[in-house]
Amino acid sequence: MKNNLIKPITQEFSEYLKDESRITGAAESISFPRTREDVVTIMKELYPKGIHVTVQGARTGVTAGAVPKGGHIMNLSRMDGISAIRKDNKGSFCITVQAGITLSGLRKQIKDRNFDVLKWSTESRITFEEFCKAPEHFFSPDPTETSATLGGMAACNASGACSFLYGPIRRHITALKIVLCSGHTLTIRRGETFASGRKLDLITDQGHSFTVYLPAYEMPKTKNASGYYVENDMDAIDLFIGSQGTLGIITDIEVGLMPFPRIVWGICCLFENERDAVVFAAVLREQLTNIAAIEFFDRDSLAILRTQKKENPAFARLRIIEERLNAAVYIELHCDQENLAIESLAKINQLMIESGGSEKDSWVARNNTNRDSLLFFRHAVPESVNMLIDRRKKEDPSITKLGADMSVPGHRLHHVMSMYRSMLDESGLQSAIWGHIGDNHLHVNILPHNEEEYKKGQALVALWAAEITKLGGSVSAEHGIGKLKTVFLTMMYGQDHVNEMAALKAVFDPKGLLCAGNMFVPLVAER
Amino acid sequence: MKILVLLKQTFDTEAKITIEGGKISRSGVSMIINPYDEFAVEEALKIKESLGGEVTVVSTGDDGVQDALRQALAMGADKAVLINPGTDDVDEFTAATVLAKAVSGMEYDLILAGWRAVDDGSAQVAGRVAEILGIPIAKLASKIDVEAGKATATCEIEGGTEVIELPLPAIITAQKGLNEPRYPSMKGIMQAKKKPMEKKGLGDIGLDAGAVAAKVKVLSVALPAARAAGKVFDGEPADTSAAVVKALREEAKVI
Ligand SMILES: Cc1cc2nc3c(=O)[nH]c(=O)nc-3n(C[C@H](O)[C@H](O)[C@H](O)COP(=O)(O)OP(=O)(O)OC[C@H]3O[C@@H](n4cnc5c(N)ncnc54)[C@H](O)[C@@H]3O)c2cc1C
Ligand SMILES: Cc1cc2nc3c(=O)[nH]c(=O)nc-3n(C[C@H](O)[C@H](O)[C@H](O)COP(=O)(O)OP(=O)(O)OC[C@H]3O[C@@H](n4cnc5c(N)ncnc54)[C@H](O)[C@@H]3O)c2cc1C
Repeated sequence: MKNNLIKPITQEFSEYLKDESRITGAAESISFPRTREDVVTIMKELYPKGIHVTVQGARTGVTAGAVPKGGHIMNLSRMDGISAIRKDNKGSFCITVQAGITLSGLRKQIKDRNFDVLKWSTESRITFEEFCKAPEHFFSPDPTETSATLGGMAACNASGACSFLYGPIRRHITALKIVLCSGHTLTIRRGETFASGRKLDLITDQGHSFTVYLPAYEMPKTKNASGYYVENDMDAIDLFIGSQGTLGIITDIEVGLMPFPRIVWGICCLFENERDAVVFAAVLREQLTNIAAIEFFDRDSLAILRTQKKENPAFARLRIIEERLNAAVYIELHCDQENLAIESLAKINQLMIESGGSEKDSWVARNNTNRDSLLFFRHAVPESVNMLIDRRKKEDPSITKLGADMSVPGHRLHHVMSMYRSMLDESGLQSAIWGHIGDNHLHVNILPHNEEEYKKGQALVALWAAEITKLGGSVSAEHGIGKLKTVFLTMMYGQDHVNEMAALKAVFDPKGLLCAGNMFVPLVAER
Repeated sequence: MKILVLLKQTFDTEAKITIEGGKISRSGVSMIINPYDEFAVEEALKIKESLGGEVTVVSTGDDGVQDALRQALAMGADKAVLINPGTDDVDEFTAATVLAKAVSGMEYDLILAGWRAVDDGSAQVAGRVAEILGIPIAKLASKIDVEAGKATATCEIEGGTEVIELPLPAIITAQKGLNEPRYPSMKGIMQAKKKPMEKKGLGDIGLDAGAVAAKVKVLSVALPAARAAGKVFDGEPADTSAAVVKALREEAKVI
């Protein structure tokens, strides 16, 4: 069958050859399916011909997962509808979306309670009426880049600042529909299909049953987005979350919503001494339970903000951070009663002083307007760093930002912090460290001026990956392995376990054509 | 130096305005200190920090306004006074009459206010209070200097600035750019709970409902007409751009 879904790549599609990793790939054709049936049609057309297929969401990934390596690009951004709402047995609202809906689009529709219910079932419509009368709800996963799609977020197990309390998207996905290379579909609801040990039996919606053997490795006990999620007796749905498009194409996702906390306060604690800030973050998470996020900014991040405020009018509304201050910890407090919030504040204040901070150096944002400007502060750091690198890249195209996205077990936090600091100081490279310190997960960014520094930085990141592996950490806690960090995945699990992953993929994709090159080099079991 | 700040609680500037039963609905809207009044609070705190003294925030409104007053206390103000006008039907005359009367029973060297409130935007209340109290006023200040017995305000006027010297006591209203309001610190928020918040009724300041009855009657409120839905042109760029031009010319008649 000839169909007009598949178009040849022309100049107008050139932006689809790259993602936010800023690496450019190659492809011969592209499609923008609107329905699951379209996806099935395309796979049935291309797979038998042995054509590579790379799946894309919004291409905001930073590890080149969505960059094609020849063949076909299947871009799901036009599949952006919401198709149903239901209440689960615990009384929580769950909504089903198409994979291409963006996080910002989903949030807005939830906030405004404004869904296009025209094609919904009667049941969904009744539940929707109930939803409209219920207190405000929200979808908690909050990666910084809100133009990401839910499909991309599921494929990378995305997380954000508030994942400290609420977990990554994995914890909020209740069902998936996946189109396989064969054109069959899998429907998996959380809590229905489990592995027995490391053996998992699956059955497609069309009645084909098959068995997969899960790799034997133990995952690090930290925040993790590296390699397949596997553990004994696991829920089948977890295998597909974080699988980076290598097993099948996620077309529909059901996610759970939560009631929005009545009180959301942002607190920024500033420190003269960076070590004090790290100590503070570590004791904070042990002693308080209603904290949703703990984020860290080092002296270089603050210095970059000071320069931005001076030089760029778009950043004029940033708060002044006195020169004597060298680190900041941003905390988000979520609770339902004001007196509880004030009690927590007293505790946080006490811990801040005990850690070496001064009680005059804290900012509390109690209302949305103030909190928005604190969030602006938080977002300004990565944005400024990207602007800086873009400027340098114009002078020397061989460089890009180098970022480590690694996590370690809690008791290793001080160790890695001093490792990063001493190795960076010794190297003389410019850097900025910020991120999810509550989860022992820091974004360590190296900002090279030229190719030589870039190479030096690359070597440094590789050293860290080796050390993090030794400490029982994860080489990618959030951004996924994609095509850029495959070496680190091998470092983390070893070649044998990577081979097991490839064997697992080959059950779903015997020709090794779907998102090939993500995580590892695929096996080609048949032609 | 005793400084009073006239402070109004307003809708969050991001709030979505809806009308229910002929009135602007407050449901689901979070309330903040009028942003210009926040500049006034900050300026009062700075003057206090350099010259010493006491900052009192004064507002008229219902019990819900306490939240905005607490925010000012958390920023560092010393006391709050809240006068309940006993009615929702408050216009500029009502607010100014109540505030002027409350203030006239207090000690002050300087009164600071916002140049206007972001909700009604009438920019009248501070001027009216000055008139009732019979003290000078400088409006739209972007810089204020205070020394013994006098204040100097640099004020925005059309096409320039004007430097006004005022004998104290006087009123000065704040414009954007005057300062950068601080966030409360954690300590500030905890202390705010213990600072005095005086709540009064009209009778307590020697007024009654008749004396403050609004002079303006709101006949109706309406939202601006909603923008019509956008139109999406789908298809090949060559065809769609032609269609867009055609629509701009024939339907919208703008080119
Ligand atoms: C400024 C910035 C900030 C960021 N902040 C965060 C952050 O805080 N937390 C975080 O986790 N990430 C962050 N990211 C990374 C990125 O936003 C996430 O990885 C996001 O989940 C990718 O979504 P996407 O729709 O853009 O996917 P894409 O980039 O299009 O694809 C990502 C991967 O998912 C696969 N994929 C996409 N859709 C599907 C599908 N429907 N079925 C199967 N596979 C699919 C692709 O093949 C690819 O391998 C950030 C990126 C940027 C640029
Ligand atoms: C930033 C800014 C925002 C403003 N926003 C608004 C707004 O929202 N709505 C609005 O209506 N206006 C607004 N105005 C305009 C201004 O506030 C009003 O026009 C106001 O009424 C002027 O009052 P005034 O006392 O300063 O009068 P003046 O500027 O002194 O005088 C105005 C006019 O009144 C007459 N007049 C004054 N005194 C006498 C006198 N003794 N004898 C005879 N005639 C006299 C003269 O014709 C004179 O030209 C704004 C102005 C500024 C600078």
